[in-house]
Amino acid sequence: MPPAAATKLGYTPPDGGWGWAVVFGAFISIGFSYAFPKSLTIYFKEIQEYFAVSYSQIAWVSSVMLASMYAGGPVSSILVNRYGSRPVVMVGGVMVCAAMVLASFGTTIIHLYLCVGVIGGFGLAFNLQPALTIIGTYFQVKRPMANGLAMTGSPVVLCTLAPLNQFLFDTFGWRGSFLILGSIVLNCCVAGSLMRPVNKAALAKPKAEPPECNGAAAEEAAGADTSAPSTNLLTEEHQSESQGCMGKFIDLSLFRHRGFLIYLTGNVVMFFGFFAPVVFLAPYAKHLGIDEYSAAFLLSIFALVDMFIRPATGLLGNTKLVRPRIQYFFSFAVSYNGVCHLLCPLADGYAGLVVYAVFFGLAFGMVSALLFEVLMDLVGAHRFSSAVGLVTIIECGPVLLGPPISGALVDIFGDYKYMYYACGVFMLVPGIFFFIMHYYNYKKLDEEHRQAMVVDMRTCEEAVELKTSQDDITVHETEG
Amino acid sequence: MNLLWAVSALLLSCWQASASTAPKIITEPNEVSNQTSAVLSCNLTETNLPIKGSHWMHNGKIIEDSKSSDTSPSTSLHLEKITHISGGKYECVFLTDPEAKQTIEVKTLPHVGAYKHSEHGNEKDKGVMVCVSHGYPLPTDWTWYKEEDGSQKPIINGTTDKYEIKSTPNNTTLTINDLSIENDIGDYVCSGTNELGTTNDKIHLRVRSRLAALWPFLGIVAEVIILVTIIFIYEKRRKPDEINDGSAPLKSNSNANHKDKNVRQRNSN
Repeated sequence: MPPAAATKLGYTPPDGGWGWAVVFGAFISIGFSYAFPKSLTIYFKEIQEYFAVSYSQIAWVSSVMLASMYAGGPVSSILVNRYGSRPVVMVGGVMVCAAMVLASFGTTIIHLYLCVGVIGGFGLAFNLQPALTIIGTYFQVKRPMANGLAMTGSPVVLCTLAPLNQFLFDTFGWRGSFLILGSIVLNCCVAGSLMRPVNKAALAKPKAEPPECNGAAAEEAAGADTSAPSTNLLTEEHQSESQGCMGKFIDLSLFRHRGFLIYLTGNVVMFFGFFAPVVFLAPYAKHLGIDEYSAAFLLSIFALVDMFIRPATGLLGNTKLVRPRIQYFFSFAVSYNGVCHLLCPLADGYAGLVVYAVFFGLAFGMVSALLFEVLMDLVGAHRFSSAVGLVTIIECGPVLLGPPISGALVDIFGDYKYMYYACGVFMLVPGIFFFIMHYYNYKKLDEEHRQAMVVDMRTCEEAVELKTSQDDITVHETEG
Repeated sequence: MNLLWAVSALLLSCWQASASTAPKIITEPNEVSNQTSAVLSCNLTETNLPIKGSHWMHNGKIIEDSKSSDTSPSTSLHLEKITHISGGKYECVFLTDPEAKQTIEVKTLPHVGAYKHSEHGNEKDKGVMVCVSHGYPLPTDWTWYKEEDGSQKPIINGTTDKYEIKSTPNNTTLTINDLSIENDIGDYVCSGTNELGTTNDKIHLRVRSRLAALWPFLGIVAEVIILVTIIFIYEKRRKPDEINDGSAPLKSNSNANHKDKNVRQRNSN
C-alpha cells in the first residue's frame, strides 16, 4: 500500500546524491533551532546577577525565543512557498547572528527580550521550517531515514554547545560569549547554501500516457502511481481556486484534510506533556537525594540514547514492513512515551532513574524522529511547508504552557509523581487516539484508492474502445 | 496579735519558699573564646522541680545526640574541635516545668572566605568581588586591601567613584567601576574583624580586553564566508553539467540520428 499522499510532485525525487548534503545542511539548521535556546540557559545566572532581575524574568528570554520560533512558523512557510528553502535559511542565519551581536551590547533585560527572544526566535524559525521542507523535496523512498538523520542534529548540537558555552563563558564572560555564539550560529548560512533547490526539470517524470491500462494495478503497486488519489487531486484543485489571496501564500485548505486534523489534534494534547519531563529530570533526581553531578549525568545518558535512536528510528521507518503503516509506528512511539512517564514514579534510587532515562531517551528520540515524517506522509511534500507552519503556530501554546503547568503541579502537591502521571496521561491518550484515528484514516484512504482505481479502469476501457473505433475508422478510410 | 504574727510569718516563709524554687543554672565555663576544645557543663540548682531530662541546643537547633532522659541536675557537652562551624550560642535545656535553660557562647575567629577566588571583569565595565563570613560572632568590621608591590594598600570607601564597598555582618562586596587593564589587574584582600581577631582571604581579579572576543568572532565569520563562497562556486561550475545531464536522453537520440545520418550519407555517397 503506497504512502497516502505519495507522488503528486510531478518529478522523481533523487533519493540520494546531493540529497545527503542537503540532509547535512538540515542537520545543522534543525540542530541549532532546537538546541540553541536550551543551551543559552547556562548564561542565565550571570545575566540575572548582572541586571539584578529575578529568575522568572530571565527565564522569559528562553520562553520568548521559543514562542517566536513557533509563531514564526507560518511566516516561514509563506516565504518558503514563495522563495524556496535556501534564501530563507540564509536570512534566518543572518538574523540570529545579528540578534546575538546586538544582545552582546545589551544594557537592559528588555534589550535581551527583543534581540535574543524575538529576532533570534524568528531567525531560528526561518531555519527550522525550510530545513524540514527541503528534505521532502529531495527524498521520497528514503525519506524516513533522511528525516531521522536530520532530526539527530538537535541532540548532537546540544551536546556540543553545552560544554562549549561553558568554556566561552569562563573565558569571555557573557557578552563576549554572545558575540562568538552569533558567529557560530552564522554557520546556518553555510547549511543554507547547501540547500540547493532540487532540479525539477531534470528529474521530471515522463508524462505517463493516460491510463496505462494493461497492468495498471501492477504499476500502482510498485508505488509510482500518478493516478492514485486522482479524486483527491481534483478536489484539491477546486479548493485551491476557491482560496483566493491567502491561498497563494499558505494552504489553509489543510484544515479540511482529515490526516492533518488528526495529527494536529493529537499533537496539541501531546505537547503539554512532551518537554516537561526533560526539564524536570535533573530536579527530580536532586529531589530524590541524588547529587548534582549524577543528576546532570542522567541528562547526558538521555541525550546520548536520544542521539543514537533517531537515525535508528529513521532506518526502521524506512523498512518495507513499517513504511506503509508509519502512522502506527508513530502512535506506538507516543503511547510508549506515556507508559514510560506513568511508570517513572516506580523508579527506585539512582539505578531506577538511569533505567528510566534510557527508556525515556528511546521514547523521546523515536517521537522526535517521526514527528515531521508522519506529517509529510499525511499531507505530501508539496503541502508540507504550509502544514508545518500551521502546526508550529498552533503547538506554540502547549509547548510554552507545558513546563509551567507541570511546575505548578509539583509546587501544589510537593511531589513529582503527580506531574509524571499527568505527563503520562497527556501522552498516552493522544497515542491511543492516533491508533484509532489512523486505523479509520487508512481504511478511508484504501477506499478512496480503490474508487480511484475503478474510475481509472472505466476511463481506460473507454479510451481503449475509442482507440479501437478510431482504428476501425482509419482502416475503413484506407480501404475505402 | 500572736496569731496575726504567726500567719504573716507563715505567709512570708511560703513566699520566700516559692521565690527560692526559681531554678538557677550554673554554667561552666561562662564563655568560650579562642580555644580548640572545651567541655560545657550546666548545673541546675536551687530547685526541687522534677527533672525529666535534658538536652543541648546549638544556634536554636536541638543537638540530637545530646538528648538524655537522665534526671540528673547536671549535664555536659564535649566539644572536641572548635571551628567556625561549631562556634555559636549553646543552650543547655532542662526538661522541667517550666523549662530551665542557660546560654553559653562559644566564640571563634571569623572565617572569611571569598565567594570566588578568581574573578573576571570586562574592560570599562564593573568588577564585583564578594567575601562571605561564617562563625560566631560575625565580623563587625570589614576592610579591603589591594596588593601592590608586596604591600597592602587599603581601599577606602567613598573617596572616589571607582571603589564601592557594601558590607553586612555576613558578607562584603567590593565593586570596582571602570576597570582598566593596566591598573586594576591583581590581588585583592578582604579582611573581617570581630572581637577575637581578624582573618582575611585573597581574590585575583582579571580584566578582559573589550576586543578579546572580537578575534574569534571575526575568524568564524571569515570561515563562514569562505565556505559559502566555495559552495556557490562549486554549484555554478556543476550547473552546466547538470543541464547537460538533464538533456542527456535527447543528446543520445541526436547521436543516434547522427549515426543514422552518417549511414544515410555513406549510403547516399
